Amino acid sequence: MPAFPTLFRGTAFAINLTTIAMMVLTGLVVLIVMRLAVRRLDMRHPRGLQNVIEWIADFAATTARDAMPSEKAARSILPLAMVMLVYLFVANWLGLIATIELVVKKPVPWLGLTPDVLEQAHGRVALFDSPTANMSMTLGLAIMVWLMSHARGLRHPREWAKHFLSPTPWVLPLTIIEEITNPLTHGMRLFGNIFAGEALMGVILGIPLIFGWVPVGLPLLLIWLFYSAFVSTIQAYVFTILMCLYIGNKSFDEGHAH
Amino acid sequence: MFELGTFVVSIITFLILFWLIKHFGFEPLAKMLEQRRVHIETQISEAEKSRAEAEALLAEQRRLLEEARQEAKRLLESAQARADEQARQIVAEAQAEAQRILEEGRQVIERERAEALSAVLDRVSQLTVELAAQLLREHVTPQVHEEMLQEAEKRLGELVC
Repeated sequence: MPAFPTLFRGTAFAINLTTIAMMVLTGLVVLIVMRLAVRRLDMRHPRGLQNVIEWIADFAATTARDAMPSEKAARSILPLAMVMLVYLFVANWLGLIATIELVVKKPVPWLGLTPDVLEQAHGRVALFDSPTANMSMTLGLAIMVWLMSHARGLRHPREWAKHFLSPTPWVLPLTIIEEITNPLTHGMRLFGNIFAGEALMGVILGIPLIFGWVPVGLPLLLIWLFYSAFVSTIQAYVFTILMCLYIGNKSFDEGHAH
Repeated sequence: MFELGTFVVSIITFLILFWLIKHFGFEPLAKMLEQRRVHIETQISEAEKSRAEAEALLAEQRRLLEEARQEAKRLLESAQARADEQARQIVAEAQAEAQRILEEGRQVIERERAEALSAVLDRVSQLTVELAAQLLREHVTPQVHEEMLQEAEKRLGELVC
């Protein structure tokens, strides 16, 4: 595993700079693409990128409507659902398109690249990577969703309290466990899929060339690349729909079924 | 490896990015979609309204056409009846006229025939008288003359009586 440039390494508040930088980069990519798409919006004759962005918005709206109890709730979650979908899609794909690693010989202590860290990573320092291949980041998103769902649920405190006891009071332990496992699996699922994809890709890339020039790993790499692309897309969707479901489950607006 | 710093900073980073993307990317799109939705809705309701109007107008036109047709039929029928009546009247008048002319002709013929007959009778009686006078002058004796006078008187008397 390569080392990451990290602020405050060794303290309780270590910050992975590569992940944060990649998050910002992902956000910029999404922002630029969406700006390009909405640059010349035409109500009557949608063209090019506008069609794509409209299709994505429609897809996100369908997803939100399926998961949310009312049209009003679906409408309130739609911006987040769409941004999350596109953001995660771009984030997952960035690591597939490229990973950049630097071999650093000289330790850089203020970035947390101390001699023993470099030695453990054989001097490799990751500079370009999927932000979603970082457990702290995906768990951050999951906890954010969890907090949002409870914030939304607490708008109606009575229903919010009651939903822990539904359908019978006996399920209270289960619902409490669920409150822990839901965000945990929500975040870890995304991290696991993306991280595993990148890790295996690193392993395949590390297969030595036979006779110094026959790339035996190439077919394997292509297959894994396609599979990872598929997984990246699916996981972006899965994270988004689960987010809608978790928030939808705690939306006690009028028109709620239970 | 879980890092609290990365965890917290990534939440904050994501929220900032989300706000930026939402504000500069999503909202123009949502505005346009809403605008389109409203536009389509108004178009549909307007189309429905104008269709209803068109249907009402069409019904009105149909009604008017039907009325006009009825009116035309009625007019035609009354005109026909009047024409029939007139024709009958004309024929009757013509027949009466023909009858009158025929009658007049017949009277004229009758009169002329009577005139001709009386003329002929006049002539015949004249000739008879002449012939009788001739015959009497040559053959009649006073006695026969007397007898004939008596005979004539008797006849005249019969005629008179």
